[in-house]
This record gives sequence, C-alpha cells and structure tokens, in this order.
Amino acid sequence: MTAENGALATPGGGVIHDIGYQHYTGPRLGRPAIVRALVWYSLRSSVGIGRGAKAKIIPVLMFVVMCLPAVANAVAIAQGGHRLVPYDTYLFQLRVLVMIIFVAAQAPELVSRDLRSHVLPLYFSRPMTRLDYPLAKLIAFTLACLALIEIPLLLLYLGTITQAHTPGAIWDQTKALIPGLLVGVLWAVLLAAIGLALASLTGRRAYATGSIAIYFFLTWILAGLLETIGGGHDRGPLTSAVGSAPAGARLAGLVSPFTTVDGVRQWLGGTSRGPIAPPGSYGPLYGVMFLLLLAGALGLLAARYRRASIS
Amino acid sequence: MFTGQAGTVASITLRATIGRKRAFLFVLPSAILLLVTVLLKIAHPSAPDWPSAVLGDFGFAVVLPLTALIIGTSVLGAEIDDGSVVHLLATPVRRSTVILSKFAVAAVLTMIFVAVPELIAAVIATGGVTKLAEGLFVGALAGSVIYNAVFVMISVLTTRAIAVGLLYLLVWESLLGNFVSGARILSVGQYSLGIANSIAADSHLNAHLGVGTAVVMGAIVTAATLALASRRLAAFSLKGDAV
Amino acid sequence: MSTIELRNVSRWYGNVVAVNDITMTIGPGVTGLLGPNGAGKSTLLHLISGFLEPSRGELTVAGVPSWRNPDIYRRLGLVPERPSVYSFLTGQEFVRATARLHKLPDPDRAADRAIGIVELAEAQHRKISTYSKGMRQRIKVAAALVHDPELLLLDEPFNGMDPRQRLHMMDLLEALGDEGRTILFSSHILEEVERLSGTIQVIVAGRLAASGDFRAIRRLMTSRPHVFLLHTSDDRRMGSALISSPAVTGVEMTGHGLQVKASDYGAFSREIAGLTREQGVQLRTLLPEDESLESVFAYLVES
Repeated sequence: MTAENGALATPGGGVIHDIGYQHYTGPRLGRPAIVRALVWYSLRSSVGIGRGAKAKIIPVLMFVVMCLPAVANAVAIAQGGHRLVPYDTYLFQLRVLVMIIFVAAQAPELVSRDLRSHVLPLYFSRPMTRLDYPLAKLIAFTLACLALIEIPLLLLYLGTITQAHTPGAIWDQTKALIPGLLVGVLWAVLLAAIGLALASLTGRRAYATGSIAIYFFLTWILAGLLETIGGGHDRGPLTSAVGSAPAGARLAGLVSPFTTVDGVRQWLGGTSRGPIAPPGSYGPLYGVMFLLLLAGALGLLAARYRRASIS
Repeated sequence: MFTGQAGTVASITLRATIGRKRAFLFVLPSAILLLVTVLLKIAHPSAPDWPSAVLGDFGFAVVLPLTALIIGTSVLGAEIDDGSVVHLLATPVRRSTVILSKFAVAAVLTMIFVAVPELIAAVIATGGVTKLAEGLFVGALAGSVIYNAVFVMISVLTTRAIAVGLLYLLVWESLLGNFVSGARILSVGQYSLGIANSIAADSHLNAHLGVGTAVVMGAIVTAATLALASRRLAAFSLKGDAV
Repeated sequence: MSTIELRNVSRWYGNVVAVNDITMTIGPGVTGLLGPNGAGKSTLLHLISGFLEPSRGELTVAGVPSWRNPDIYRRLGLVPERPSVYSFLTGQEFVRATARLHKLPDPDRAADRAIGIVELAEAQHRKISTYSKGMRQRIKVAAALVHDPELLLLDEPFNGMDPRQRLHMMDLLEALGDEGRTILFSSHILEEVERLSGTIQVIVAGRLAASGDFRAIRRLMTSRPHVFLLHTSDDRRMGSALISSPAVTGVEMTGHGLQVKASDYGAFSREIAGLTREQGVQLRTLLPEDESLESVFAYLVES
C-alpha cells in the first residue's frame, strides 16, 4: 500500500515516510551463498586468520609438527633412502596428539565464541535454516582438519615420486597414497564432528577445550591400555595374522575414535601396522562404531542448534 | 568460614571452583579410572601386571595431569579472564598470599579427586594395600602439588591456559618424553612416577628418574613456578576501554 | 594528605597511545573525569589505581606510586567498570570478605555499615547473581567503602542505574566529598558530571583538554562565541543595534527570541545594558544558551 508522495501507509493509519533511503534492488544470493560465506569465514577462524598473531600460533605449530615426519622422510629419500612412513597410518601417535591439540584448541574458536557473545540470533535472523549454521561450521572444520592431515601426506608423496624414475614406480606410490588419503578423510570427518559437537555444549572456550581434550586423550590411552591388558602383546612384524589376538584386545579399539577409524581401515583391507591388533572378524563392529560416533556427533550438533531457545 | 586473608581467598576459591558445572569434569577421569579398574578386576585378565599398566599408564599419564589441568587453571583463570580478580587485588593482601591460597585449594582438591581414587583403584586392583598402592598414592599426592603449581602459573601468564597446559602435557610430556630422554628431567609426570616408584619399585611404571632427582626437581619446580606466578600477579594489569 | 599527582604520564600499547602526556593534580572533593568513549578515562583510572603501569611519567597517590604497591589499597577504594563480581556470593558475604582482606579489626561491623550506606541491607542475603545492574554497582561501592578510604575511584559508576538510584549515589558521593575525601569518577554522560562535581578534567583522545570549574573553562575559551538568548520589547530594533557592536558576531531572529553570538563575553556583558537604554527597548530576558557542559564538551570534542 503506497500513498502518492512515496510514503508507505500501514493498516493502523500511521505513515512511513520515504526520506530517500535507497532500497536494495540488486540480486539476493540466497541460502547457498550464505552457507558458502559462513564456511569461508569459519575456515579462516579455524586456522586463526583474521584474529591476530596469537590465534595462529597453535594451528601453525601443529601443522609444522605434523609435516615434520613427511619432510624428514622426503629428505632421506632424496639422499637415497626409502619411504619409511606409511601413507595410511603415518606416524600414528604423532597424528593423534597433534589432532587432539588442534581440535581441542580450535573447535571452541568456531562455535563456543558465538555462544558466549550471544550472536546466534543475528545469524538466525537471516534467511538460513537452523541447520545451515552447524552444517557450515562442520564443513569448514572438516576442511581444516583435512588440510592438516592430507597436506603432509602429499608432501611425502611428492618427495617420493620426485626420486622415482619409472612410471611404474610413480603408479605404485599413487596406489599407496589413495587409501591413505581416504583414511585421512575418515579421520577429518569424525574428529571435526565430535570436536564441534562437544564444543557446542558450552560457551566458555576453556571448558570446551578441557572436555574435548579429556574425551580424546582419555579414550586413546584407555584403548591402548585395554588392548595390552587384553593380551595383544604378541604382535610381530606379520600384521596380517588375522584373528591371532584374543577378543578383548581386538575389541579394545572401539573405545577411542582414533582406533575406531584405524579398525575400519584394517577391516577394509589396510595392511600397514596400526596401533592396535587387527580386528579380524570384529571388523564390521568397527564400521558400526564409526557410524555410531559420527551419527551421535552430528545428531548432537543438529539438536543443539535446532532448539528455539538458543541465544 | 575461614577468617584471615589467606582463609578468605581460599574459601572464595573453593566455592567458586566446586560450585560450577566444571566440577563434573574433575570427577569424570577418576570415575572412569575406577570403573575400568573394577571391570578389569571382574574380568580377570591373564596379564599379571595389569594393575601397574592401568594405574600407572592411565592413572598417572592421563587422569592425574588432566584433572590437575582442569582444577589448576580454574582456581584463577576464570577470574582473571572476566576481571573479577580485581576485587581481590584492590586490597592490601599480598599477591603471594593470593597465589599460595589458590594453589593450596587446587592441590587439595586434586588430591581428593585423583590421589584418593587412585588409592582406592590400586587397592581394588591389587587386592590390598600393597607397595604399589602406597607408592601410587604418594606419587599422586606429589603430582597434585607439582602439577597445580605449574598450571596456576600458566593461568597467570596467559588467558589460554588450558590450551598451553595441553601443549605441555601432550607435546612435552607425552611425545617428547617418550623419545627424548633429556626432556624427562623437566617433566612433572616423571617426578610423580619417580616418587611413586621409590615406594612401589615396579618396573612397569616407566619411571626414569630416581627419587632424589624427582623430589629435588619437583620442589624446585613448585617453588619457582609459584614465585613466578606471584611476581606476575603483582604486575596484573586491567585492560582499558575500547583501545 | 590524599591528593593524586600526575606528571607527564603517558601510556601506550604498541602504536596506540591511550593516555598522552597528562599532568594534573586531584585534591579533596569530587572531581569528574569527562570524555567520550575511548578517550582514555578507564585507562587513566587504572593507572591511578595501580592496575596499569605508566609507560612514562610519574604518578603518585598520597605521595607514593600506586603501581605494584598493594598497601595503597588501605587508603584507596576502587569501583571498577566491568560488572563481573563473585556472583555466587551473597552481598553480605562479598563485602565481609573484602573487609577481611583489608584486615579490618571488626570486619562484620564495617561490612554492615558499608552495606547500610549504599542502602542494600534488605538484599544483602541474596546472591549477587540475582541483583540488578544498579544493585551490583552499589554492592561494589560498598566493598570499596568498607575500609573507610580517603580516596575513592569510580569508573562509570552510574551505568545501569535508574534515575532514583543515580540521585542517591550522587548524594552519597557528594557527602563523601564534603567529608574531605578525594573522589574521582568518570563518565561520558554530561548531566552527571555537571550536577555532581565542581571540578572536571576533560579527556579527549588521551589528552587532557581542560581542567577546572566548567564555567571557568568556558570563560577561558574566548575564541568561541558565546550565545545568548534575548527577549525584548522590540527584538528587531535591538538586533540591528547589536550587530553594529564589535563584540557581536551574529544576530538571528528565531521563533523563541533574539539569538546573539558574542565573541567578546566581557565587552558584550558591559554593553548590553547601555544598548537597551539607548534604543529605548525593554530587556525582559537575557539567557546564556550554552553554559551547559554539553556545549563545552561539544566544543572541546570538535576542536
């Protein structure tokens, strides 16, 4: 309903005057663009860009530490050595500790800060659904974890193939790399989901970091412990001895997300030696556990942000 | 409840620390330790040395440091972060009194939430008050003291105390401590294990330091970190407005 | 002797200078620290209260530096701006704890007295988390007064107070100032400072722009025209006579009277009576239009 002089008349009888503010008449990009923008912004925060120098210390430090074995091995290869670091397990303990620190330190930066400063109403008053927000955060953080895991693998690969002299050797390396990259994807997806889910429970970054660290570290040590106690001592160089370890040892890995992913790897045919005994016939259980953990984390995230009372 | 300056600081700290939701995180690791111990005891595993693995590798390497981290950083960290520590500091109380009172609360809480459960778990696992149980208990008491001194200091020095503490525990103590023997001389976990081992004499505890070294270094680290924390608290600055 | 002395005090953070070469003395009575947000008022209060180290210059409170000197708090009370306080304590517990930290001989009685002064006796047994913002301010003032300090520093004390509470707090501060204590409070709200303090220190962008009685400050700024509003029996005639005077720079016929801009306050005030008699015009009202702190402030800010 518009009146003649450009003023807008409202049903109650009041008038909104047109004092020359320009109405935006250009294109409106819609939900996909919103999600993309949020993903980009969150990705930058998860590595500390745009937050000052101190925010970058932990991400950069963890990245450097993670790349060290790859670089060291590449240098050794250049001097005539062999590739000792496997693509699919990398240096398992190092990867575990680096990822614990990275996820515990950075997941709260992505979600806890917004909770603490109560900016969620600003987000949700835009044309996006309640699930777009955690989805965007999840995509961004998964990409960040993916970079942290896969880039060292690629460095290792490049270091190896530059010394390879035949196309056959290059193809061998590529064949070995692909499963490693896929395992890395599993890692990134699961850790990002669990990290964000735990962090979304609180607005205080310190609690979030503490909870994430406790969960990951506690379960990791526990898994190793239960496996050793369960009789998984006798693991010689033959890693394909399926079913050789007692049941307790083979099930111990279900306790920790890290060993769960590794159990899935071994179930799907991975042959490199992992931190725990091969699951053998319990392999499918590891697959189920992986899906359960992932579903649980995603469900928690969705439920958390769907609540109307969040502010 | 308590009177006197130190008592007042301690009583406020105690109420602030226990009253929060964070208290759930203190109890969790020890609860898991007890649960795992009971379950394993029922399951009768064949490995005879499983108690020292569970109580040493899990109890000392995970439960003790992580719980001390949460407790040690929360007795002072949150107050510095939101500025409410100003109400303590705008009084003539000596800064060292503030630090020592908060440290004492943290150490005692850690002893209650870690050392006692560790003792109980050890008694359950070994079937009685064995040398192992005694050693682990005393080692956990020492660890409660030394770890909390370090973490209280870290929370004065930085607002990201938990992340820094985590870096120390995971990178310095776990990763480097396993591979670089020089790092062990500066590892609080090793001090605790060394003290525990002097009573328990169990090679599965992975203690690499003798008791003399452990006690001396532990005392030095405790004193030095608390002194540094007091000095830094004396220079506590409030940030201005929109600068 | 409870004076605060600053001599060439500066404080910077990297490239940003928060407080820029300030020299001033603050004595007994109520002094208002006035300035827009970000001007450095809080920084200055933190410097004076010993919670920030000056990058340069000397700062003494009652003769001794306040930095790294916990004993100064026997004589100084601080009411900080941030609203965070131990919210799990009751008001009484908080003030009593502060009293004990001051090692007062009878902490409970001192606490009760302080709580009475801020009129929070009915609410003192409730947890501070249930208090309104104004009540939290008042309990912080009680904690700052419990040890009967000679100096009291308050950072934006009227934030979040309703008009009645504000008036009460102003009366309280005025009474404390009359007792000979040195009260320094900061504000960016003009009518608070105007009503309460005779002496103001104006801080703009880290610099001390003016200090003293605000009317006196005004008079010192002779470069800016003073504005007066006149009601006479013949405004137009008066206006044309005024414009011929060298002390007058502008005359405007407004709907509510004759607005005159005078560059020379003294000369104008001497001339006006004679002019009206000469013109045979009756002067009914002569009001200064911008004696309020608002115009002082606006002038200082825009310069």
